[in-house]
Amino acid sequence: MKKIISRLGIMVGLASAFISPLLQAEVPTFTIEIRGHLFYPSELVVPANTKIKLLVLNKDPTPEEFESYELNREKVIMGGARATIFIGPLKPGTYPFFGEFNPKTAQGIIRVEQ
Amino acid sequence: MVDAVLLVLREVLEAALMLSLLLALSRQYQLPLTWSLWALLLGVAGSWLLADKAYEISEALEGTGQEILNAALYALVALGFIYLAILFLIKAPAFLMNASAQTDSRALLRAVLLQPVLVAIVSLSLMREGSEIWIYLSSFQQQPDALASALIGAVIGTGIGMSLGAITYYVLIFMRPRFFLPTFLIVSTLLAGGLAMQIAKALLQIGMLDSAGPVWDSSFLVAEQTWLGELLYALLGYDAQPTPIQLVFYAAAIAPILLLALWLGVQKMRLGVQNMRNKKNA
Repeated sequence: MKKIISRLGIMVGLASAFISPLLQAEVPTFTIEIRGHLFYPSELVVPANTKIKLLVLNKDPTPEEFESYELNREKVIMGGARATIFIGPLKPGTYPFFGEFNPKTAQGIIRVEQ
Repeated sequence: MVDAVLLVLREVLEAALMLSLLLALSRQYQLPLTWSLWALLLGVAGSWLLADKAYEISEALEGTGQEILNAALYALVALGFIYLAILFLIKAPAFLMNASAQTDSRALLRAVLLQPVLVAIVSLSLMREGSEIWIYLSSFQQQPDALASALIGAVIGTGIGMSLGAITYYVLIFMRPRFFLPTFLIVSTLLAGGLAMQIAKALLQIGMLDSAGPVWDSSFLVAEQTWLGELLYALLGYDAQPTPIQLVFYAAAIAPILLLALWLGVQKMRLGVQNMRNKKNA
């Protein structure tokens, strides 16, 4: 019985080690909205060397693709949907992003500061 | 319209190059080509289905559905290329020899599931890339003028992608089999590595993997948003700023192929040495 309990303990420990990154309770969250094929705010300041959760809310009825070569991220966000994108830890600097479906208007910058 | 051309070309390019490579493989080894029709049919139908269900997919699994699905599709295609590379490393001569004896060749093809693997690679790539095109076009539903221009752009983009695929195909089928096999093996290995890197990228994006700073930044050499960058991305999964975990995934994908090639090389060398000794003794 003891053996089983200790085994269970190990299993739970292992499982939590894998799941813990998913919980992410302590990750700072920043929100960006898409309205009329524009990003609000178009410039977001975030802390350096920190993992960050971006919440992108698409308030348009049309889909958009959040894309950034510098951040190495791309995600389709359907009309009226929300997307979670983890970025960082990043070095200080500017990281442009854009909406691939409306690249002329939908542009923004993430400014990473110490 | 230019936006549409670029977007569609970017999406179509990777699948077109994979299709060309595998069609050339089939031609070089005189295998049937019918699989390609199935691949295109399934790929286009699948991409439409994925686009139609895009909202549900991205909301699934607490908002990570899109990335998990993409990672799974990348993984299946990468496994397909690893399988093909290993198969042709070991069995390439058998495919050539049996080309004349129709019945044997068919049995071998069926035994190694070659055609289902080819269909899976092309159709799954096409599904993933193509769904974005449908979603993009759907955003113009309410604006008939913009839709017409986007559709024209999409047709041009598809045309350019297919032309580049056709050029690749003809370059590959005019290669001598001696040169084609190594080329195929190298490209398959690079593709498998590039796809594995994309899996890591998808998991990083949903926070399942933890990111560290990029290992290098080669964007001053080839930026990803340039034409060369896009082409290298489609061919090799080029990333100007890869993170360590992406490189681990890359290495894990190419390791089985490289190790097998190395082992086969060593075996061959041993055999050569033995033959030389036997000749000397005789």
